[in-house]
Amino acid sequence: MAAQFEPEGQAPPRFGLFLLQALIWGLFGLFVLRFWYLQVHKGEEFAQKARDNQLRQELLHAPRGLIRDRNGVLVAVNQPAYALGLIREDVRDVKATLDQIAVWTDIDLATLEAKYAKGRRRVKPFEPLILVPDLSFEQVARIESNALFWPGLEIVVRPRRYYPQGPLLAHVLGYVAEANEEELEKDPTLSLGDNVGKGGLEFTLEERLRGAKGLRQLEVDATGRRLSQHVMRPPRAGEDLRLSIDLELQARCHEMLEGQAGAIVVMEPFSGEVVAFVSQPSYDANWFVTGLSGPQWEKLRDDPMHPLQNRVVQSAYPPGSVFKLVVGGAALVNGVSPSERVYCSGQVKLGRHIFRCWKKHGHGHIDFLQALTQSCDVYYYEMGSRLGVDKISEFAMTCGFGHKTDISLPHEKGGLIPTREWKRRRFGESWQGGENLNLAIGQGYTLVTPLQVARFIGALVNGGDILRPTLLAGGEPERQGHLPLTDAQRQLLVRSMVETVEQGTARRLKRRDAVIGGKTGTAQVVRLKLKAGDVRRKLEEMPYEERDHAWLASFGEKDGKTYVAVCMVEHGGHGGSAAGPMLKGVYEHLFGKQK
Amino acid sequence: MTPIDRRILLHINWSLVGLTLLLFGVGVMNLYSASGFRLEDGLSLNPFYKKQFLWGLMGFGGMITFMLFDYRHLKTLAVPMFLVTLLLLLCVPVFGKVIYGARRWLDLGFFNLQPSEVAKISILLIGAKLLSKGQRPLDWLQLFGVLAVGMVPAGLIILQPDLGSGLSVLLLLGGLVLYRGIQMRVFKPLMILVPVLLPMSWFFLHDYQKRRILTFLDPGNDPLGAGYHIIQSQIAIGSGRLWGKGFLSGTQSQLRFLPEKHTDFAIAVFGEEWGFIGCMFLLSLFCLFLYQIYLTAHDAKDRFGSFLAAGVFFYFFWQILINMGMVLGLMPVVGIPLPFISYGGSATVVNLSLIGLVLNVSMRRFVFKRA
Repeated sequence: MAAQFEPEGQAPPRFGLFLLQALIWGLFGLFVLRFWYLQVHKGEEFAQKARDNQLRQELLHAPRGLIRDRNGVLVAVNQPAYALGLIREDVRDVKATLDQIAVWTDIDLATLEAKYAKGRRRVKPFEPLILVPDLSFEQVARIESNALFWPGLEIVVRPRRYYPQGPLLAHVLGYVAEANEEELEKDPTLSLGDNVGKGGLEFTLEERLRGAKGLRQLEVDATGRRLSQHVMRPPRAGEDLRLSIDLELQARCHEMLEGQAGAIVVMEPFSGEVVAFVSQPSYDANWFVTGLSGPQWEKLRDDPMHPLQNRVVQSAYPPGSVFKLVVGGAALVNGVSPSERVYCSGQVKLGRHIFRCWKKHGHGHIDFLQALTQSCDVYYYEMGSRLGVDKISEFAMTCGFGHKTDISLPHEKGGLIPTREWKRRRFGESWQGGENLNLAIGQGYTLVTPLQVARFIGALVNGGDILRPTLLAGGEPERQGHLPLTDAQRQLLVRSMVETVEQGTARRLKRRDAVIGGKTGTAQVVRLKLKAGDVRRKLEEMPYEERDHAWLASFGEKDGKTYVAVCMVEHGGHGGSAAGPMLKGVYEHLFGKQK
Repeated sequence: MTPIDRRILLHINWSLVGLTLLLFGVGVMNLYSASGFRLEDGLSLNPFYKKQFLWGLMGFGGMITFMLFDYRHLKTLAVPMFLVTLLLLLCVPVFGKVIYGARRWLDLGFFNLQPSEVAKISILLIGAKLLSKGQRPLDWLQLFGVLAVGMVPAGLIILQPDLGSGLSVLLLLGGLVLYRGIQMRVFKPLMILVPVLLPMSWFFLHDYQKRRILTFLDPGNDPLGAGYHIIQSQIAIGSGRLWGKGFLSGTQSQLRFLPEKHTDFAIAVFGEEWGFIGCMFLLSLFCLFLYQIYLTAHDAKDRFGSFLAAGVFFYFFWQILINMGMVLGLMPVVGIPLPFISYGGSATVVNLSLIGLVLNVSMRRFVFKRA
C-alpha cells in the first residue's frame, strides 16, 4: 500500500501556484496604475469636468429637401420656427414651470400637463421635450427675456415647411405636420414635435425628403447653461426635388376651375411627366404645418365641396362617352370593320327597355369614325351587345383602367371596370344583357380617374406605351404596358379624336396652328331620373348634385411638342361646353394664343 | 459523509471569512449610495441595497451549506451535475422567461433560476475533477477533451444571449487549464493559433456586441450608447481624485449622469465617493481575498481540492479584471458584474457559496491523507 503513495501526485502544480501569485500582482499593479492615472494624474481634469460641465448630446434637425417646379420656382421651402423645449433634468419645479408656460403662450395648463406626461417617457435624459412646437415672435421675446429665471427651458430653432404657393399645389405636395403617436412609435429616429409628410409627395417621398439628423455635443454647467459645443455628426439635408409641374400652367388651370369641383391633368405623353395637376377646390397646406384648430379642421372636413379630396387620383367617375374610345378600340381588336355601318334611329329596344341615343332622331347609317366623332350611342349599344362585358372589360384593363397608375401619391384609387365575376361578388347577381349596352357608352358601374384617362390618351398618342405618370421631372419613362392595338387601329382612334375637334362635339378646341384631338363625355349622375320617356331638362333647371359630370379628354401637338390634357368638371353638365373652354385655355398657355 | 469534526471547525480560514464580509459590506454600503436618484421632487431611494442584503443572508446560508460536507464527495457529483446543467440550459430556449430581450431565466415559481449561474458551479466541479487527474502538463488530446466539455454549455449560454456569463465559463475553464499546465509543444502552436482564430469569433457576435467593441476602440463613435457609459464612468471615477467626494456626495452618480450605476458600473460610484484612497483599499481587499484563495489552493491536501480552490480563484479573478477593466476604460463593455459590489441576486448567492467551497477545502487541509 505504501508503495502507491506518491507525494508529487497529491501536490498542487507548481507552475499553477506561481501563476496565481503572478496574476494577483498583475491585477494589483494594473489597477493601481489605472486608478492613479484617472484619479490623481488626471483627477483635476475630470473633477473640473464633473464640477461645472457635463457632456450632453443634442440632435440637430436636418432641413427637409426643397421642392421646385419644372422651371426652378420654389414651391416648398423651409423657414425657421421656434419651439419651446423643456429639459426636465434641469427644471426645478415642473408644475410651476408649466404654469408659467401657460401664462406666456395662452395654452391651457391641462394641455401642457398632458403633453408633458406623454412626452416625458419618450425623451432621453437631457433631451428637450418639445411642449410648444410653434412660438410667435412675441412669445419668443417674452420667454427669452425671462429664461434666466426658468432653468431647463429652451427655445429650439427648427426648420419648418412653408408652401409659398398655398393652395395651388396642395394636392400634389400634400403637407407636413407633427408626427402622431403611431408614427413616433414606428420610427425611432423621430422625436416628439418632429414634422413628417402626411399627404401628397411629402408623404410618399418622405424618406428622400427628410434627410438625417445630426448630432452635437454640448458642454453644459450644473444649471444647464451651454459652455461649448462641437458638431459630432453634421445633419444631412433631405434631397431636393424638381417637379414636372409647370407652375404657371398649374396656376392658370387652378384659376379656370375656381368655384367648381373638378380636375385638370396635363401630361407629356412621351415621358409620362405631369405638367399640370389640379384638383379644385383646394386648401392651404400651410394650415396643417402650423396646426389647425378644432373648428378649422371640422370646417375643412365637412365642406360639401370636399377640398381635401384629390380629384385627379382619389375620385373615380363614370367616364361617359370618353369610354367610347376604349370600347371602339375593343371593337377594332375584335374584328369590327371600320367601314361597317350601323343604323341609328335614335333608339334601340332590348327586352322591355328602350336605350336612347343622345340625338333624338338618330344619326342614320353611320360608320366607325362617324360614330366616334358624333358620339353616337346607338352604334355603341350595338358594339356593346356584340362584344359583351368580357371582351370590353379585358380590353379596358389592358389599357390601364381598373388599376392604379402608381403615380407617387397616397390613397390613389384604381377605379372600377366591372366584370361578370365582380358583379356576382358585389351584388350576387349575374350579368344582364342590357348592362352591356350601358357599359359600352361608359355608364353603369364603370369608374375611372382623370389621371387614368390621361394615361390612356397618352398611350394612344405616343405609339401605344402605357407610361407611369410621374410628378418628378427628368426621370426615365417607366413603361407599364402596351395598348393591344395595331398601329392602324390606334391611328384610327387618334384620327377620330382629331375629327371630333374638327367637326364633332369638341369644336371649341379647334386651332388652325396645331393638331388637336378630343373626346367629350357627359356622365349621368342620376340614372334613374333619365329613364325612358323622361324629358332632358336644361342644365340650369337641375339641382347641382343631379347635374351630369362633364369630361373632355384631349391631346394637342404643335412644333413637335405634344401634350395630353384631361378635364373633368363635377356636375358641370356637357363635356364640350363645360370643360372645353378650360382646355382651350390650357392649349393657349402651351402653344400660345392663336393669331 | 464525514461527520463534522471539532478539529475541522478550528481550522476555518477566518481571514477569508473576514475579507468576504468586508467586501460584502462595502458593496451594500455602495449600493445604498447608488440607490439614491434625483426625481423632480427630491431624492428617492430604490431598495436595491435592502434586497442585496437579503440576498447576502441567503448567500451566507449557501456558504455554510457548502462548508459542511467533505468536498471530496463532489468528485462523484461532478458528472451528474454537469448533465443536469446541460438539461437546464437546453430548457432555457424552450421554457425560458424573456427579460430585457434575452431568454436567460427559468421560472421555478418561487424564484427565477438563471441556469448560467448553475453552469458556473458545475463547470468548476467537472473542470477540477478532470484536470486534477494525472500530473503531467496537458497534451493536445487532453486539452481538446477539456475544451469540448466547456464549449457546449458556454455556447448555449452565449446563444441566450449572455456573452458575459458564457465568457466567464470559458475563462474559468481556461484558467484551470493554465493552472494544470500545458505541454510546451502544445503551448507554442497555441500562441500562434489563438491570435489567428480569435478574430473569427467576430462573426458570431451580436450586432450590439460588435458595436461595443468598436465603441471601445473609438468611444466618440457611439456617444449616446456604450461610449456614453465609458466616458461618464471615467469622469465619475476620475473626479473622485485622491480623497473622494464623500459618501452619498458623488455628483455624477447622484445626478443620473452615470447609467447602470447599481449593476455593472457600481464601482464608478465608489470611485467617485471614496477617491483613490478608497479604491486602493477596495483593490487591496480584493487582492488579499484572492490571496487567501491562493493559499487554500496551495495548502490543499489533495489535487482535487487544490483545483477547486484554483477554479474559484479564476472565477473571481476574471470578473474583477473584466469589470474593473471595463469601467476604467481598459476593455470593451461586457456585462460582467464586480463580485460583492454589483447588485445581483443569483450572483451574490453563487459568490458566497463558492467562498463556502473554498472554506471547505481550506479547513480540511490537515485531514490525513488516506493511503
